[in-house]
Amino acid sequence: MKQTLHTRRQFLRTSILGGAVSWTIPAFLERTFFTLDAMAMDSLVQTTTGKDGPIFIVLQLAGGNDGLNTLVPLSDDAYFQARPTIAIPGAKTLRLTDELGLNPQLTGLKALHDEGHLAIVQGVGYPNPNRSHFRSTEIWHTASDSAKTEKYGWMGRYFDACCKGSDPSIGVSIGSQTPQAFAAPEPRGVTFAKPEQFRFDLKNAADHDVADEFFRSVNDFESEQMDGASIGMLQGHADGSGNTLDFLQRTSLDAVVSSDKVAEIIKRTQPGASYPSNRLADSLNLVARLIGGGMPTRVYYVAQGGYDTHSSQSGSHERLMKELDASLASFTADLKAQGNFDRVVLMTFSEFGRRVAENASGGTDHGAAAPLFLIGGKVKPGIYGKPPSLTQLHDGDIIHNVDFRSVYATVLSKWLNAPVEPILKRNFPIMSFI
Amino acid sequence: MLAPLPASEWTLEAAGHLFNRAAFGGTPEEIQKLHAMGHSSAVQSLLNAGEDEDLFPSPEISPLRPYRELKNASASPAEMMEKKKMIQAQVRRETIEARIWWINRMASTPFPAREKCVLFWHGHWATSIQKVNDPFLILQQNQTLRAHAFGPFDLFAKEMSKDPAMIRYLDLNSSKVGRPNENFAREFMELFTLGEGQYSEEDVQEVARSFTGYRINPDTGGFFFAARSHDSGVKKIFGKTGNMSGDETVDLIVSRPQCAEFLSAKFWNFYAGENPSSPLNQVLASEYRASGLKMDDFLKRIFLSREFYAPKYRRRQIKSPVQWLIQTCKILERPLPDPRVIQSTLEQLGQVPFAPPNVKGWDGGRAWISSSTLLLRYNLGGALVRNARGAKPDIEKILPSETTAEAACDLLSWRLFQAPMTTALREKTIDFLKNNGRSPASHGDLIHLLMSTPDFQLT
Repeated sequence: MKQTLHTRRQFLRTSILGGAVSWTIPAFLERTFFTLDAMAMDSLVQTTTGKDGPIFIVLQLAGGNDGLNTLVPLSDDAYFQARPTIAIPGAKTLRLTDELGLNPQLTGLKALHDEGHLAIVQGVGYPNPNRSHFRSTEIWHTASDSAKTEKYGWMGRYFDACCKGSDPSIGVSIGSQTPQAFAAPEPRGVTFAKPEQFRFDLKNAADHDVADEFFRSVNDFESEQMDGASIGMLQGHADGSGNTLDFLQRTSLDAVVSSDKVAEIIKRTQPGASYPSNRLADSLNLVARLIGGGMPTRVYYVAQGGYDTHSSQSGSHERLMKELDASLASFTADLKAQGNFDRVVLMTFSEFGRRVAENASGGTDHGAAAPLFLIGGKVKPGIYGKPPSLTQLHDGDIIHNVDFRSVYATVLSKWLNAPVEPILKRNFPIMSFI
Repeated sequence: MLAPLPASEWTLEAAGHLFNRAAFGGTPEEIQKLHAMGHSSAVQSLLNAGEDEDLFPSPEISPLRPYRELKNASASPAEMMEKKKMIQAQVRRETIEARIWWINRMASTPFPAREKCVLFWHGHWATSIQKVNDPFLILQQNQTLRAHAFGPFDLFAKEMSKDPAMIRYLDLNSSKVGRPNENFAREFMELFTLGEGQYSEEDVQEVARSFTGYRINPDTGGFFFAARSHDSGVKKIFGKTGNMSGDETVDLIVSRPQCAEFLSAKFWNFYAGENPSSPLNQVLASEYRASGLKMDDFLKRIFLSREFYAPKYRRRQIKSPVQWLIQTCKILERPLPDPRVIQSTLEQLGQVPFAPPNVKGWDGGRAWISSSTLLLRYNLGGALVRNARGAKPDIEKILPSETTAEAACDLLSWRLFQAPMTTALREKTIDFLKNNGRSPASHGDLIHLLMSTPDFQLT
């Protein structure tokens, strides 16, 4: 079995050899160097390392964020007519232009805007919008056309196309489920909610050290003794490409190596800024520590839920905006203090925006196009995309002016230096926010 | 047709394979007992399904409470919100109650092969509480799945088209003459009977017309047929013209040759652990047809076949989270953990019964495993072996202190893997036993460690 962990160069640069780690390098990793050096030579794109290389963070606002109350069209009468009770008066917004103001809670984003680190893309969506949370989320994750079902995610295809031979933690998702965006024929990326749970837990073992040594030795699938056949002397290919046991062994090794690395970083690093206490802030705090600690991760995935505001949305949407803003403010301050702000682009998205008109319960129903934010030291600030019309609607919904895959294509080609076509299946207009 | 397994190949390991796949596995003694019956009687005994309702009385959940109560309330919006919250909390509580009841039934029924089959069908006719939002309907559907699990498919499919949870899940309740909803019609052909590409868009529209008027009785939570909403006009389905009813449409679809092929491949994937090759599936489909599309008859044919026991299928199927949990408790001879632990285990490992991710059901196979779910399995295994709170397995019974290291390896590999260990793992296990004392605590560590391996995730 060929295990792809690190190139030797990477390995030397990242913490496992350089940092103070509590366990010694297993022999199998040393042997792996030679294979990997050779593999990295063949690879078209050199894999990233912990200390350099761009990082991309996806922040999903799950449930369908109300774009119109996030980026308020303050000079558009149609907005106020459609939303008699929930429209935000222009005077209350954080004014960006004569036409647009940010939700009053987004003070941190306003500051990022003023200092030139925020790009806003308006009217982002896709043709034939689907109003099911599930289906529309799938479309955003897989970058498929609305009418097509695609199994693999756009980040998964990126890992496949550009990160062969990379560390398993090339993608890290903070949460309980691996996002579909990471799905790939040979899945990569690790998912965990809390670093303390992403550990092989032997605290109740009678003899911790002995048990730990045994665990590592039986999950060391590179050593000659363990190679090949395992339980039951039965060879076979029972599940798709490759042997199911090989697949499990590879995943197990990935888990052991990545969880050691995460634990080592958590032990070594301290939170660099004070964060508010909510789940999104916890996730972003963790991401900042992993970045600061030198994880070789290229893509992080985090989410904030609760945006499905069908009724009495004013209070709840305000709270969500505040949570989002305060978390992002801490996160960006943290990255700046680390000196990593220039290495990072963070993109928000939501599976859809909401209806232009409010409903009878002071809320809004599922809609279509909406704005998204891009934040980072190297982002070219500004407001991109044509302002969407609030009078020319499709079934009461905003018609998109920017296909979300144009945003993806821009991030891929200008930030991750990746070819667009193999990942998004075709080319999309490249934008200028990076 | 499938060749039978020669009597000489009915080994203990073959019996273990059958028990793991047809049901949820068990202790070495149980496998021994199954083996001793002889192959044919063993298969027959697994496929017997009697009444065990007395052992597992359903949780008491009354029908459609949430909706009726909401409708009857003449309250302010704030009070309505409050009421809605209370109802949602109740829906959650009752759903968990129903789920734990089923898990418990899977773990302790005298007819585990039927429950395994019900689990298959739940993934097939995947319906989620997330949209149905009514635990009574979900539990009622579970009983329907059980009643028809081993029976003929045409009857089953007709019942499912009239299942109230399904009616709500796939929007049949709003489908009426002149405005048919295509959701059910499409999924019925794509996911439940024929497979994608085996029908035209026109077929979808026409099939949708024949299922119009299917409704849920708000008083009983049962099915009722609203004749006035039904489209009794002439339809053209798969080239056949007539004023087909829903049942007649089911017959028409189920009798298409692709139906047996679509289903036999899906059964094989679930029980044998991989998609059959095209020639093999031709054989499987003809066996299925020969059984009259009757599940217990078909399962008997595959469980008696030599193919099912071929080395390439053995110990190469990734346990589903439900299988992992139940089989682990069975082989450790411990009761199921606390309901909260069951619930969180299934959530974390990614298979929550009554809440499949979508109408396709669970992808299964490798999709069960990520680096985090694998570590979670390793850690949850530790909790099942030596959780300080609650029931613990009797380690001394599983591995008596006086056992020699060699004999201990045999005992453990049989109990945990139902197959011999590799030489390498065996050597490490022997080293562990020789160097770490022979207390139940250190034996517990060893059992947990052997469960924290890729091999233990396979069955």
